[in-house]
Amino acid sequence: MTRYRALFILVVLAFANLRLAKAQDNYEIQVYGSDTVAPQTTMLELHSNFTVEGSYPAPGSLFTAEGVYPTNHAEHETVEITEGLSNWSEVGFYIFTSARSGDGWQWVGDHIRPRVRAPDSWHWPVGVSLSMEFGYQRALFSQDTWTMELRPIIDKTIGRWYFTVNPALERSFHGPSVSQGVGFSPSAKFSYDFNKYISGGLEYYAAYGSITDVSSLHNQQQQFFPTIDLNVSPNWEINFGVGVGATAGTDHLIVKGILGRRFDWTHHRAGSSASTQ
Amino acid sequence: MDRRDFLVGASLAMLGAAAKTNLWAQTPADVRLEIAPLKLEIAPKKEIHTVAYNGRVPGPLIRWPEGKPITIDVVNRTDVPETVHWHGLWIPSEEDGAIEEGSPMITPGGQRRYSFTPRPAGFRWYHTHTSAGHDLKRAMYTGQFGCFYIEPKQSPGAYDQEIFLTLHDWNAYMGGAGDASMDAFYDYATINDRMLGHADPIKVREGQRVLFRVLNASATAMHWLALAGHDLTVVAMDGNEVPQPAKVQAVRLAPAERIDLLVEMNRPGVWVLGETRAEIRKAGMGIVVEYANQQGAAKWIDPPETLWDYTLFAKTEPSTTKPDQRIPLVFESKFHGHGDFDYWMINGKSFPKTETIPLKEGDRYRLAMQNKSSDDHPIHLHRHTFEVTNLDGKPLSGLRKDVVVVKAKSTAEIDFVAANPGATLFHCHQQTHMDFGFMMLLRYV
Repeated sequence: MTRYRALFILVVLAFANLRLAKAQDNYEIQVYGSDTVAPQTTMLELHSNFTVEGSYPAPGSLFTAEGVYPTNHAEHETVEITEGLSNWSEVGFYIFTSARSGDGWQWVGDHIRPRVRAPDSWHWPVGVSLSMEFGYQRALFSQDTWTMELRPIIDKTIGRWYFTVNPALERSFHGPSVSQGVGFSPSAKFSYDFNKYISGGLEYYAAYGSITDVSSLHNQQQQFFPTIDLNVSPNWEINFGVGVGATAGTDHLIVKGILGRRFDWTHHRAGSSASTQ
Repeated sequence: MDRRDFLVGASLAMLGAAAKTNLWAQTPADVRLEIAPLKLEIAPKKEIHTVAYNGRVPGPLIRWPEGKPITIDVVNRTDVPETVHWHGLWIPSEEDGAIEEGSPMITPGGQRRYSFTPRPAGFRWYHTHTSAGHDLKRAMYTGQFGCFYIEPKQSPGAYDQEIFLTLHDWNAYMGGAGDASMDAFYDYATINDRMLGHADPIKVREGQRVLFRVLNASATAMHWLALAGHDLTVVAMDGNEVPQPAKVQAVRLAPAERIDLLVEMNRPGVWVLGETRAEIRKAGMGIVVEYANQQGAAKWIDPPETLWDYTLFAKTEPSTTKPDQRIPLVFESKFHGHGDFDYWMINGKSFPKTETIPLKEGDRYRLAMQNKSSDDHPIHLHRHTFEVTNLDGKPLSGLRKDVVVVKAKSTAEIDFVAANPGATLFHCHQQTHMDFGFMMLLRYV
């Protein structure tokens, strides 16, 4: 029994290393498009993610072997508020929360994310933007508490097809991943407009580990989300997907949803025929 | 088959006809227009590579007495077929400049003489009538437009100064995506050929009555205009006197619409006449109006929020003349992806597959339009003037136009008398709409 327990602990420790390499926490599961929120406009989004099958607590503990709350059957609710600053910049704020049976509803952390994009006047053949996300997550939810992400975004719409790639780089400033340096966590998405209101697509999220010491495929994080986007109104953003983890280091099954509402503080957006303002 | 395919086919078919009509007369024409590429400086270090008439934007003002025949030679110095449409004039189809009606194109390097008798009196204009499709550097995205004023036989002339202004947007690109289909967006905007702050100011004197004749020559953009601190009296629309002149603080002009504004210069200073939206003024749409003996930076004052309502300038009682026939027309869009422009349908069909409406000379027709789409449509009827008789269920009369905006999710009715035999084009004047199916022919039988 003791041998089995020792083996179990070894497995858990190996998993713990994977968790250290994990870049994409399941609080905001979204591949970014290059567009920014228009000035005098606020975008309010609620990211709701439920981990159907994720990490479990260590035996006899409330926490996983890494000392964080398990993700299995955890509901993550994230509020994202993004304010357009100009035609090419915005800043976003995140409030991460987690709810799980027995653990209650807890505040996880906050991030801030300024973003700039190539202005339309540059007439680039693809949309390009760059976001920098910085923030804190409680140690009970993430071993790395202070982290930063630099996320280039390249996207393109051709007829009914949409493509976007986010080759993100991550860095921890406090926690066990500090020594790993910069991690590479790309994500990508393509979608097809079935009609004006419904688009179907596939989103891909990965964490390859450190850029100087790429993890083996087994240890990488690889997730695929078939998704549906509903374009019911320019003021609403609705995204729904089911994610499957393809490697041992990934939460195996996640259901995600994004509900966004745009608030245009101008009376009438430029181009409106109704009024001067 | 889209509009461009149609035009290419029609161009080939009409080369013979073009040869016949290319009668380059020995006698010089009254007006000569040369279509050629132009590097247009709209502000220091801001140059637009475009195509224009006679090396200038707008093209030369053609001012001509009503009823006096005119000849206009047009030379095409570009490498694509061109045509000039005489917008708002009651002239024959073959002179109207729309290939869909039977006017021949002017081949690259070719030339053509247009001959017609300009009527009716008022503020008309001329412009290219080609297709741009996805190439937003062609057709109405260029500088191919100019004002055409047909002088009435008896002009009251109750003004001290007359100024023609043209609004245009430059450097179009496809933008949008997200939840909407693509649309045309622009880098710059000008009044006439210069951005705000880079043109000579309009000089006025206190007490003057200045008549501004304004044309929106944008390919796709609706514009709002105001003169800071001054009331604008709308006296004519699309060159036709309105039955109820009214004072407003700002006016809205859809692509191809014109408006005549009488302004009493009663507030000395240096002011901006420009777009009411700051971002479009910043893009250049404005011009300085300077009173005599006044100096300093031009000032802008936001007008109060203005809701545009054609009925302000019309009679509120219904038209007493009943139409001989009512023709229902339903406008709908056809989605082609968030990365493309919408395609457009009239009664379920896109041009050139749209039905052709038969007309009997002398009859009065009512076009009952229902816009089911979420875009506004500046609807233009060639070679005829119509009376707006109903807007969203509200009857009106006396307002005569050749372009009317049918707002998104609304209805509008217009009446016209079939008094100018020949093929007649009906279309939305938004370049992105007309190029993608929003056209229809009416034909006299």
